[in-house]
Amino acid sequence: MRKKHISVGYIIVDILLIIGLLAWLFPLFMALLNSFKTDGELFTNILSFTATPSFENYVRAFTKMQYDKSIWNTILLAGLSVTLIVVLSSVAGWALCRTKSKLSSALLNLFVFSMLIPFSSIMVPLYKIVISMHLKNSLVGLSFIYAGLGVSMAIFLYHGFVKGIPYEIEEAAAVDGCNKLQTFIFVVFPLLKPITATIVITNVLWVWNDFLLPLIVISNRDKYTLLLSTNTLFGQYSNDWTGILSALILSAIPVIVFYAFFQKQILKGISDGALKG
Amino acid sequence: MKTKKLKKNVNLLLFCLPAFIVYALFKLYPAVSGVYYSMTDWNGLSRAFQFVGLANFTKLFSDDTFWHSVAFTAEYVLALVVFANVLALLLAVAIESRHHFRGTFRTLFYMPNMISMVIGGYMWMFIYTKVLYYLADNWGWKFLDHSWTGDPRYSFWSILTVSCWGVVGYLMIIYIAGLQGVPNDLKEAAELDGANGWQRFWNVTVPMIRPALTICIFWTLNSGFQVFDVIYTLTGGGPGDATQSVAINIYEEAFKGNTRFGYATAKSTVLFIIVTLVTLLQLTLMRRQEDEL
Repeated sequence: MRKKHISVGYIIVDILLIIGLLAWLFPLFMALLNSFKTDGELFTNILSFTATPSFENYVRAFTKMQYDKSIWNTILLAGLSVTLIVVLSSVAGWALCRTKSKLSSALLNLFVFSMLIPFSSIMVPLYKIVISMHLKNSLVGLSFIYAGLGVSMAIFLYHGFVKGIPYEIEEAAAVDGCNKLQTFIFVVFPLLKPITATIVITNVLWVWNDFLLPLIVISNRDKYTLLLSTNTLFGQYSNDWTGILSALILSAIPVIVFYAFFQKQILKGISDGALKG
Repeated sequence: MKTKKLKKNVNLLLFCLPAFIVYALFKLYPAVSGVYYSMTDWNGLSRAFQFVGLANFTKLFSDDTFWHSVAFTAEYVLALVVFANVLALLLAVAIESRHHFRGTFRTLFYMPNMISMVIGGYMWMFIYTKVLYYLADNWGWKFLDHSWTGDPRYSFWSILTVSCWGVVGYLMIIYIAGLQGVPNDLKEAAELDGANGWQRFWNVTVPMIRPALTICIFWTLNSGFQVFDVIYTLTGGGPGDATQSVAINIYEEAFKGNTRFGYATAKSTVLFIIVTLVTLLQLTLMRRQEDEL
């Protein structure tokens, strides 16, 4: 046990941490605070609370950024992408782990090595594929691209997780008459739940917060993701700060709520992924 | 025996095929074809294009704008690796030494990492262009009276601040996990041997969190080289091309006005080579040091 004595140094660190935390959250706080003000109030006293909070800015931001439409697009995109990533890479990661052959280690190496390729290096040729496959402005197409970019990491994680599952369980299923695919679906996949949860959460956040890929692929206003529509608002109405701040809060809310619910898994996913991977 | 082995591999291929198809189509093929396009004069539109060998690369060598963006990115990455990791490690150590509220500190310091840097970037834009001016005007804090996003002398640091704000929470979580893996009796043994706090940190804790250090530096290097969102929202690469990162430069080349796709892929190839060399070098060096311990 660590000794629990309170020294001057301890209190100084406490104070520094609290000041640091206030500074850390200052941008979020300023955005929230000023999103309820009128333009006039914002410029006369940017630091104070408003006496008459109004939701008018939120209504304006909601309509201008077509919030309902873009949030639906983003949910659809993230949902589809993550489903694809989980389905495709769980079975592949399992098969790669259970098959001991040169081919299997070559395939795994290929998947793993390509994680090093920076996205900005492939975005130009990727755009050509998008055009030639008529995927421009297609959210479904975009989700397949996310799957293509995301499977490497997920396969790597599944592969590592399957190693820890006793093979006897699968043999028993085979004795009971399951074929390979049935064994996977009914016996193995349920056992992968912890790693699946991690993969779902990290990939939802990745797709949700990704900006550059949708920026290239989606140009139709009706297909905009939340970030794309937030971005246009900034370009078009760059003097309407109260409206912009409301829009920023509106687009931050879903992830903050998500964080509130899955905080433990998110933080655990990071440290597990980094130190065990 | 042979047929059994064959069957095994056929099964493997069947199970991997769906994942492999999307992977090959949207990651592997773009990576490989990018290298090919970099040796053509393809403009992105016409079907016909010529093989031009290394002409794009020779042209690239005298492209000052591109090399400026490479230099800017290199400076940025270096500063990010140092500042973000030092700050994250400090935070991790400070939070781990608390008796109470460790979870609360961790949760709140991590929060900026949750929101996209597009949103974060615009929130900071408000701080830089409105709040700091307000403080300079009303509180007389004249040192804040600068063009934080418009003047390249300051915008480098503005960009870096927002990036650190976005990544430190993530690194901090990894360092905390590393710190929790340091056995207490090791620290106590060092304490009994008369080591002071600093010596204990430097000689016991740091060697024990070497793997976390390797991962965090690798991660900052890799993501730093691709910086896009923060710069896109804060300065758009400007004024002129003063704060252009390589990713912004490639984006502008391929998608804004210019459509020299062949040339843009040459830039992409150079970026790939740089990132691969730097990260492999870092991993090899740091892993070797880990082994020596």
